Amino acid sequence: MIRVENLTKRYGSILAVNNVSFKVKEKELLGFLGPNGAGKTTVMRILTTFIAPTSGKAFINDIDVNENPIEVRKLIGYLPETAPLYLDMRVYNYLKFCGEARGLHKTQLSERIDWVIEACALKGVLKQEVAELSRGYKQRVGLAQALIHDPKILILDEPTSGLDPLQIIVIRNLIKKLSKEKTIIFSTHILQEASATSERILIINEGKIIADGSINELEEKAKESHLIIFEVKAKREEVESELDRVAGISEYSYVGKDDETVSKFEIRTPLDRDIRLELDQISKKNNWIVIELHRAEISFEETFLTLTKQSQKM
Amino acid sequence: MRNVWIILKKEFASYFNSTIAYIFIVVFLLINCGLFMNFFFVSEQIEMRSFFGSLPLFLIFFMPAITMRLWAEEKKLGTIELLMTLPMKNWQIVLGKFLASYLFYLIALSGTLTIPIMLLMLNKPDIGAIICGYIGSALLGAFYLSIGMLISGLCKDQIVAFILSVLFCFFFFIVGIDVVSMTIDGWISGLGNFLQNYIGLIKHFEGIERGVLDIRNIIYFISMSILFLVLNTYSLEGRKY
Repeated sequence: MIRVENLTKRYGSILAVNNVSFKVKEKELLGFLGPNGAGKTTVMRILTTFIAPTSGKAFINDIDVNENPIEVRKLIGYLPETAPLYLDMRVYNYLKFCGEARGLHKTQLSERIDWVIEACALKGVLKQEVAELSRGYKQRVGLAQALIHDPKILILDEPTSGLDPLQIIVIRNLIKKLSKEKTIIFSTHILQEASATSERILIINEGKIIADGSINELEEKAKESHLIIFEVKAKREEVESELDRVAGISEYSYVGKDDETVSKFEIRTPLDRDIRLELDQISKKNNWIVIELHRAEISFEETFLTLTKQSQKM
Repeated sequence: MRNVWIILKKEFASYFNSTIAYIFIVVFLLINCGLFMNFFFVSEQIEMRSFFGSLPLFLIFFMPAITMRLWAEEKKLGTIELLMTLPMKNWQIVLGKFLASYLFYLIALSGTLTIPIMLLMLNKPDIGAIICGYIGSALLGAFYLSIGMLISGLCKDQIVAFILSVLFCFFFFIVGIDVVSMTIDGWISGLGNFLQNYIGLIKHFEGIERGVLDIRNIIYFISMSILFLVLNTYSLEGRKY
C-alpha cells in the first residue's frame, strides 16, 4: 500500500531524511519512533505530498507522490503535528469545510460529519469556536478532519502529544480500532506510546531507519546480555564469594536491601548462558532461602538505547 | 471550480469573523468619502474626479491590509499544511482566496456609492464618467490585491507582508508620476518613459477614469493581476522544494 524507496530530503547542508526505505502493507498499523528532529515529520510530509523529496521515491497505492499528488491526497487523511485548525471557525463549520474540500456532497457530507462527530466525541462542542477548545478537543477535531472522507490511509503525526493520560488512552483505542480497516502510520517520541499502540515499530534517528520490526524482534536484536534478578536470604559477602566462582557471569552488582540478612543482585550473563539452575543449586547447597530468581525482560527503553547506540557505531 | 467556491466561502466568512474587517470598512469609507466631501463643498462641482484621483494612492495602504493575512495567517496557524494536502490544485486555492478578498474590497467600494447617489439627487452628474471611475477602481483593486497576495505568500510575517506590499504597490504608482519618470530618464534615457507608460498604473488608471475605455488600459490591469496570481501559484508549488 505504501512503498518508500531511498527517500532523501536535504535542507541546505542538513540531511533531514537519509536514504529511508520501508514498506507498509494494507491495514497495517505502523509506529514511527524517534527523538525530536529525527526526521519522522519530514517523512510524513513527503508521503502526504506537502513537501517533495530531494531524491528517492514514495508510492501510495503504487501512485508516485511526485507525479500525481492530487490522487495521493485523495487516499490519505493527515493529521499534522500542529492540528491544522482555523481558530475563528465554529467546529461544525470547520468540519463542513473539510468535508466539502474533500469532495463530499450533501447527504454523504452530512452523514460523514455525523460519523466523525460520533467517533471523536465532538457533540458537545459543535457550536463553539475552535479557539475556545481545550487541547484535547482541538486534537480530536484535527483527527475528525483526517477521518471525514473515510480515507484508506491515515498519517498521524504525534496524535497524542499534549494530551492527558485519559485522553491518550481514548485516542490510542480509536487508532487501534481504526487500524482494523485502515492503513495507519503514526509517530511519537515516547517509547511507551509506541509499544502500547502498535505491533510494528520503525525506529528513526538522525534521518536514518535504525530498526524496523515488531517489538519482540527489536528486543531480540537489541538484547546483548541476559539480566538475572537474584534475591536471597544470605549475607552479601557470602553470595558474592559464591558468584565469583560461577563461570560465565559477565558482571554482577549488589542492588542492596534494607534488611541486612537479605541481599539482592543483578547479574549479567552472555546470551548463550542460563545460570538460573546453577543459582538454584548454589542456594540449596548453602541453605539460602531464595526470595526472587527470574530473568528480567529487557525494557523497551533499553532496546531503544541499545539500537540507537549500535547504529551510531556503524 | 467547485473547489474555488469552497475556498472562497471559507476565506470570505473569515474576513467577517473578526472585528478588523468592520473597522477596515468604516475607516475606508470615512477617509475616502470624508476627504471627497471636504473637497466637494469647496469645489462646488457635481463630479467625482477628486475621489477617483486620490484612490490609487489611498489603496496602496488599504489593500495590503486586506491581503497581509491571506497566506501569513495560514502559515502561522499551521493550516497551510491542511490546504496543501487537500486534493485541490494550487491555482484553485489562489483563485478562491483572491476572489474572497476581491469581493470584500468590492463591498467596501460599494459603500462609497452613497456619493453618486447624492450627486444624482443634486443635479445631473456625468454618469458615464462615474461608471468609468468605478470600473477603473475595480480593476485597480484587483491589481493591488494580486500584488499583496503574492507578497503575503512569500513572507512569514504579516507586518513584513504589509510593508513590502505597500512598497511594491507604491513602486507601480510612483513610476507613473512625471517628476519621477523624468528623473529616471535623466539616469537611463528612455527607461523613465517606458516605466511611466507601460509599467506604471497611473496612466492606465487615468485613461479609464477619463471615460475613454481603451482596451489596452483594461488589458494592463487584468494581465498584470493574472501575472501576479500565476506567480503566486508557482510560489506555492516552489515551497515544496
